[in-house]
Amino acid sequence: MRRMRSQEVEVQITPMLDMAFQLLTFFILTYRPAPTEGQFSMNLIPAAPAIDMAAEAPAADQEQANNELPAALRTLTTIVIAAPDGGIARIIIGENEYQTLDQLKARLIEIVADQSLKFDQAVIQADPALSYASLIQIVDVFAGPAVNLTKLSFTELDPNGGVAL
Amino acid sequence: MAGSASNEIRAEPNLTPLLDVVFQLITFFMLVFKISGDNFDQRVRLPVAGSAIPVEGSVVDQDRVVLNIDADGRLLWKGEALDIETAIKEIRVQAQLVRRNQSIQGNKIAEGGQLPTSIIFRADRNVPFSQIYRYITTCQANGFTKFALKAMNAEG
Repeated sequence: MRRMRSQEVEVQITPMLDMAFQLLTFFILTYRPAPTEGQFSMNLIPAAPAIDMAAEAPAADQEQANNELPAALRTLTTIVIAAPDGGIARIIIGENEYQTLDQLKARLIEIVADQSLKFDQAVIQADPALSYASLIQIVDVFAGPAVNLTKLSFTELDPNGGVAL
Repeated sequence: MAGSASNEIRAEPNLTPLLDVVFQLITFFMLVFKISGDNFDQRVRLPVAGSAIPVEGSVVDQDRVVLNIDADGRLLWKGEALDIETAIKEIRVQAQLVRRNQSIQGNKIAEGGQLPTSIIFRADRNVPFSQIYRYITTCQANGFTKFALKAMNAEG
């Protein structure tokens, strides 16, 4: 048998490399590492006076739930008054007023630490003009690790009544 | 000329490792490239909250409706900005669709019953609370009880 002469076949890598570099350039230019989004999850059932916000409480726990304090005594109501620019002007808890989020946080830490108070949920009564950013700041304080009051609900503050400006 | 053709030194760089590296880089960028921006409208500038919990994969997969709300309080829905009245109608339609889907799956939910679908609010930081609250009450009136308020973990 006659031996065939070996022929060298040269594969052209250069065009493939060009294309690969173009693809790489495209991905590098369009790559934008987006900051991670987070969320505050909550169960909000339609507002009613002193409602229990544990909307998904299983039936088996009903008896135990009846032995607990009524929802009204476990609900911390916080009123937020907006500044003209949508920021936070005042925060009212009970008879006390707070101007800053740090003051609110300090007070909430006291409330949560107080064993005689059994607050496990909060209603935020917000001024209609309050911006979403300010609302999230309030929620951030409530749901943050220092306070950890995550059962939240919202109602709209009547601008004509309720709290005097 | 003293040098003959047989004495020429041909420098042939080995491009294969370079190509390997380039393909690995391309693979990386393809994997991190996010195409699914359908629910996340870039016109919405979210507020920042340090304790907002990052969404994990299993949470993303669950049944949900994302409401992108721009600075004027309009619902950004399928590329259009809907005024609040149209948005309310759309939320009603979504609630009906959820009920129908649940019914097909054998889980019939009566009118006014609580729906298992989560409503994800992606609202602009400047939207007034009155607008947000109107959306919340509309969703509640249509049976939605699970909500999530979106925020950025850090300034983007």
